[in-house]
Amino acid sequence: MNLFKGNLLAIIGFIIISIILFVAIFAAFLSPYDPNYIDINSILLPPSYDHLMGTDGLGRDVLSRMLYGARISLFVGFVAVGIATLIGIFLGSIAGFYGGWIDSIIMRLVDIMLSIPSFFLILAVIAFLTPSIWNIMIVIGLTSWMGVTRLVRAEFLSLRQRDFVLASIVMGSSNKKVITKHLLPNSLTPIIVSSVLGIASAVLIESGLSFLGLGVQAPTASWGNILTDGKEYIQFAWWLSLFPGLAILVTVLGYNLLGEGLRDVLDPKNK
Amino acid sequence: MLIGISLISFFIMHLAPGDITSSEAAFNPKASEESRQKLRELYNLDKPVITQYGLWLKRMVELDFGNSFASHQRPVLWETKDSKGNVIKGLIQESLPITLLINLIGIFLIFSVSIVLGTISAVKQNSIVDKSITFFIFVAFAIPGFWLALLLMYWTGVVNQWLPISGLHSLDYKSFSEIGQFFDLLKHLILPVSISMLSGLAGISLYVRNGMLDVLHQDFITTARSKGLNEKNVIFTHALKNAILPLITIVGLSIPGLIGGSVIAESIFAIPGMGKLFYDSVLMRDFPVIMGILTIGSVLTLIGTLIADIGYAWADPRIRKGLVK
Repeated sequence: MNLFKGNLLAIIGFIIISIILFVAIFAAFLSPYDPNYIDINSILLPPSYDHLMGTDGLGRDVLSRMLYGARISLFVGFVAVGIATLIGIFLGSIAGFYGGWIDSIIMRLVDIMLSIPSFFLILAVIAFLTPSIWNIMIVIGLTSWMGVTRLVRAEFLSLRQRDFVLASIVMGSSNKKVITKHLLPNSLTPIIVSSVLGIASAVLIESGLSFLGLGVQAPTASWGNILTDGKEYIQFAWWLSLFPGLAILVTVLGYNLLGEGLRDVLDPKNK
Repeated sequence: MLIGISLISFFIMHLAPGDITSSEAAFNPKASEESRQKLRELYNLDKPVITQYGLWLKRMVELDFGNSFASHQRPVLWETKDSKGNVIKGLIQESLPITLLINLIGIFLIFSVSIVLGTISAVKQNSIVDKSITFFIFVAFAIPGFWLALLLMYWTGVVNQWLPISGLHSLDYKSFSEIGQFFDLLKHLILPVSISMLSGLAGISLYVRNGMLDVLHQDFITTARSKGLNEKNVIFTHALKNAILPLITIVGLSIPGLIGGSVIAESIFAIPGMGKLFYDSVLMRDFPVIMGILTIGSVLTLIGTLIADIGYAWADPRIRKGLVK
């Protein structure tokens, strides 16, 4: 916590994310009901002591589904961003270190990917593969690596000119060693910050896809597909729409605050 | 660049398992292997992928995106005449103007509002106003647009019935006068436009704020202040001009996001724009329409970037006169 000293927003973000992590990990212990248990005697009940967030159109407990939905959101966020970051680091390192034609090819690829509306691309691919949580994570990962690539490349380009890197090259270190020992560790800060911010947008994309019915499939609960039910019953059951949306909002807000806070904290210029 | 985009949009469609014949067969269990083979031949699906790409590229250069598999084989891009001389409108031809209209209004509003918000926020840095604007920006970033759309639909459409919640026109709009029709359209546009501009609004306000803060700390602003100019003059004539110049580039960059975002807004509000068309085609595995929209969407982005670059050069005398690159 000392890390964030004096940075209130970052602390708030950190707390939010910790709570959601906790909830997601212990969903099985915290949820009062089985999230997929269908009870036709308690359809569309408003929030009450028995069902704190009410029940959905099949009589399932919304709170329990929300808790399990937290798992999906986090999981998709982490894995998708993990994939994107690995691709980004790999391509960015090559482009930034070797330069030349290989750099132009990679950067061209980045430009092309950036000019295709990414939500269209994701939707198209998802619809042709069968929508499933794994496919979503992979597709989101494969369509969001461009930012990291640019970042890593830019860092490498500037670091390459620095004396300690030149010294290492002159002393005969292999390219691999220069990249992994000197260049990468010194570019970590922006990579971490952009990853945290990336999780936020991955969570948003996943919930949007699930909302459109092209994401996580029923009966698995995700915040996005609870909202789909919410749309269905919007005239009778406001609780089905309100809670999952709030959860997404708070989660994304948490990651954004944390990411911006980390940027301030980790940037030596601000010290 | 264009070829790269066409390659990607083409090959993604073909890496995916399942083709039109399998969904056709699913709808019609009587479809025999023989008739499926005929369908494949009709759409050249039996040829090698490279040949298919070649054929598609050739037609694309002629701006012929083919006909939709579904939707009664309507042309994808532009109107054609059938054998009887009836004009059949293209799917993109009908839907693109709607999406463009929504996004152009959106972009215009985004800029007007965010320049004001960002400037206020920067000028009154660290005040309550600044803090609440920054807070608003963070929330607007995080809010899922489709959720807000649902809530607004519920609040303004169901509970209070202030605004229509779907479509572009009222059922009886043909009976209105022209002005009436215009206002009817406007009323239908309020919700979708406000939803689609939300995240852009947040991003650009933040951008204006940070740009303005940067500029305000530069020497020429201090000079302007010390020569006795009043604060209004300093901010509006000296600082603002420099702070919003980079925004021109941001317009170009924000286009793919806006177009992509139209999928959700248009599906929720049942607006027959390109986003909804895309969503429907995805559900129906309508290859030609999907590929057409992917390509058109990317071309729009490229045009946007180009306009932004030209606009930047036009607005910045240093570039216009070739003093800097």
